[in-house]
Amino acid sequence: MPVRVALENTTTPSHVSGANSRRNSFQSCSLLSVGQAFSGTQNVSSLQKDEAWRVNVRIQGCDLEHGYLCGTMEALNVPMADTPVVTFWEGEIVDTKNYTFFTGKWEAAPEDDIRHWTKFDSFGPLLGQVEMDGGKSADLSNYPYIFMRWKEQYFVNVGTDCGLTIAGFYYVCFSCNDGSISGFYYDPNSSPFQKLELKATNDGRSGFSFSSYELQ
Amino acid sequence: MPSSRPSSDLILHRLSSSDYEIKLKAIREVKNQIIGNRTKKLSYIKLGAVPAVADSLAKANADSDFGSNLIVQSAAALGSFACGVDQGVRAVLDAGAFPNLIRLLSAVDEKVVDAAARSLRMIYQSKLAPKFDFYKEENMDFLLSLLRSENENLTGLGAGIVIHSCETSDEQNILCHAGSLEKLISGLDGSISQRDASLESLATILKNNPEAVSKFVELQNERALRSVIELTKDKYPRTRLLACLCLICIKNSSSCYLQDIGIKTKLIYILLELLDDSGQVGEESSFAFSSLVAGKEDLQKLAFEANAIDKFYNHLQNCALHPKRLEGIFLALADLCSKLECCRSKFMSLQVLNLLINALTHDEANVRTAACICLKSVSRSIKSLSAGYFTNERIVIPLVRLLSDLCTSVQVAALGAISNIVVDFTPDKSTIIQCGGLKELVQLTKSMDSSLRLNAVWSLRNMVFLADKMCKEAIFMELTVSAVASLIRDPEPSVQEQALALVRNLVDGCMDCIEFAFAEDGIILDAVGSQLQKSSKIEIAIQGMYVLSNIASGNEFHKEAIMPLLFPETENGSHSFLSQYLQSTDSSLRTSAAWVIVNLTVPASPGAFGRIVKLRNFGIVSQIKRMVNDSCMDVKLQARLALDQIISFGDS
Repeated sequence: MPVRVALENTTTPSHVSGANSRRNSFQSCSLLSVGQAFSGTQNVSSLQKDEAWRVNVRIQGCDLEHGYLCGTMEALNVPMADTPVVTFWEGEIVDTKNYTFFTGKWEAAPEDDIRHWTKFDSFGPLLGQVEMDGGKSADLSNYPYIFMRWKEQYFVNVGTDCGLTIAGFYYVCFSCNDGSISGFYYDPNSSPFQKLELKATNDGRSGFSFSSYELQ
Repeated sequence: MPSSRPSSDLILHRLSSSDYEIKLKAIREVKNQIIGNRTKKLSYIKLGAVPAVADSLAKANADSDFGSNLIVQSAAALGSFACGVDQGVRAVLDAGAFPNLIRLLSAVDEKVVDAAARSLRMIYQSKLAPKFDFYKEENMDFLLSLLRSENENLTGLGAGIVIHSCETSDEQNILCHAGSLEKLISGLDGSISQRDASLESLATILKNNPEAVSKFVELQNERALRSVIELTKDKYPRTRLLACLCLICIKNSSSCYLQDIGIKTKLIYILLELLDDSGQVGEESSFAFSSLVAGKEDLQKLAFEANAIDKFYNHLQNCALHPKRLEGIFLALADLCSKLECCRSKFMSLQVLNLLINALTHDEANVRTAACICLKSVSRSIKSLSAGYFTNERIVIPLVRLLSDLCTSVQVAALGAISNIVVDFTPDKSTIIQCGGLKELVQLTKSMDSSLRLNAVWSLRNMVFLADKMCKEAIFMELTVSAVASLIRDPEPSVQEQALALVRNLVDGCMDCIEFAFAEDGIILDAVGSQLQKSSKIEIAIQGMYVLSNIASGNEFHKEAIMPLLFPETENGSHSFLSQYLQSTDSSLRTSAAWVIVNLTVPASPGAFGRIVKLRNFGIVSQIKRMVNDSCMDVKLQARLALDQIISFGDS
């Protein structure tokens, strides 16, 4: 979530198409696909106050082969903003091929990584392996949870002088069982462990609906 | 001296004169006037000069001094007519000069041989030259004798024949087995023209032929390969270019050779440097660059690090660019930006887009096409699409105009770009609709040309993605219900697939949107059901199943409406497509089928129990039970979800 102004350049992997690639051997999950929306809250509490923003997330791009995901995040009822604040974020999927559990950038040391990943119950069984080799030998292809890092890249609808920043990133855990997402925001200059909790939404339908696009 | 405009009576008369001196002088005059002068060539062709000259060639006696002079001048004139002018080539061939020129290659007088050979080389530079039949043994003997010759004009002609006529891998193999590689390799040490001819003909034989490439590389312990690499440093730009093209052919044909980073980097740098050549070499170097990097992420990365995008951009800024050069640069940029986000970002940050927009209205169709192809590549960046960089009128207006371009390849290329830029993640697609894009796209879905139809439907499919209800209504009304149903039943499978994906997107979103599938007595739904019954193509089945699955996520009426499609009354359930797709070897298809069942059995819906009974009767529940340990996690999870929902109504 935005805290203070700072935009970072990241090396993004190549992504050939934004649509879900069908024929691949990578772990895919219907609810983590383009067009899917999630809503919930981000807790932005500090010592001074208890605050939570309503958050909506939409997945826009997904390239499992390169461990890449992207989308938008909309924060509602942000006190210093007149309108909802929308950011565009890019995600790294921890698949041990493209990305490991160790971030290696964004001022996150391996200890910070472990400290954050262990806050997810679903990470417990993987801890030993990760401490040994970063999780390189872990077989995540059948694990019903997908671990990611989400990094906001730019503001979509407000200026950079809005008083909010996107310096940090989220450690994210997605549950393939029910499409729920939890995350922890990491920024050395912000309150630690600000929690993001989202659920997959379905437009009031009785079941789930999926749309897709295909880039040429 | 005659005046510069040919006097029709005089010149033809003199060309056909029986007086040797008059005829020789006339031929020489024509020859001198037409050299390098396209207008004069066309003029004389129209006049009928070519048959007269060809006639002199045919009748002259090569063994006499007079005869050989006449032949030399006639051959030179005919060669000049054919040089770079297709009408000239046609006129020379129609006049029957070709067999005579071939015959004269065996003359005793070397000047005659040289003249005939040079003339034939000009003819073979044109696509209109007669196709050489490599399958005839006597032809191969003839060709090899040319390649073996000490005479540079003859070896040049041999190379020219190879370059013109060798097209298939069988023909390449015939040439290899006959020993032509060795002959051409020896030309690499010859004069400039021999080297260039050898390089070009070697590339022709090696292209896409791994066997020929192995043979070439292994000759003389890779000495030939080293010679070609050495020639990439030659002082002549054309030789450097041809050497690069030869290496690119070798590299692209076989993954065994030229894979080290050193040679890749060298090729990139040389081709980028050759862009500075102001002539044809500069034009062709960007096409060569494309063939080097197309489809190859590693090479695109190296080129990016060599600042290729900046270099192409610098050249583009020179406003007086020849159309061929512009085309080559945009195609090279398209290849560079085809896979890597860093390249696309660089492209956008340099504002090359402004120059691309100008090129969309260029006079030359090839330039317009190349600009669209480049835009298509650059617009693969979801980051840029999301930021709205491509949905402003400056781009959309000229692009929409290209949808009615007279040239089909421009239309197809424009459709490719549009199909990407409509993925802007906005709900209303207002820019493209206001610029008249919707009407044009719908019009193209009715085209007789299947590639126009396909790309138009594809664009509409992408446009409907996450569109709001009002936008979907506008698109639906423009298309019409019967047109959608008809596209689902299109003769082309790829059009069927995109049409189904379009409906899938239409019925996604708010619940009201499901009604689109039921318009006009549900003819769209009927068409979907019909395709699911008969299609064997997996991609079509997946899209169709997601249409049903999306509808099944609606209300009770929607869920019930799906049941007759899944279980038609006349059909034995065990052969239903649902059962078949649940067992597909394709995990994505199994997933889509599982979602239909998940949505049909949501416990909160009143009719769920009745639907479950039916599913059980048709053996579907048993199938779902077998899928709870599916090898694909997604399938497994949805099967378990469905089963949990089914079990909640009582034990199976």
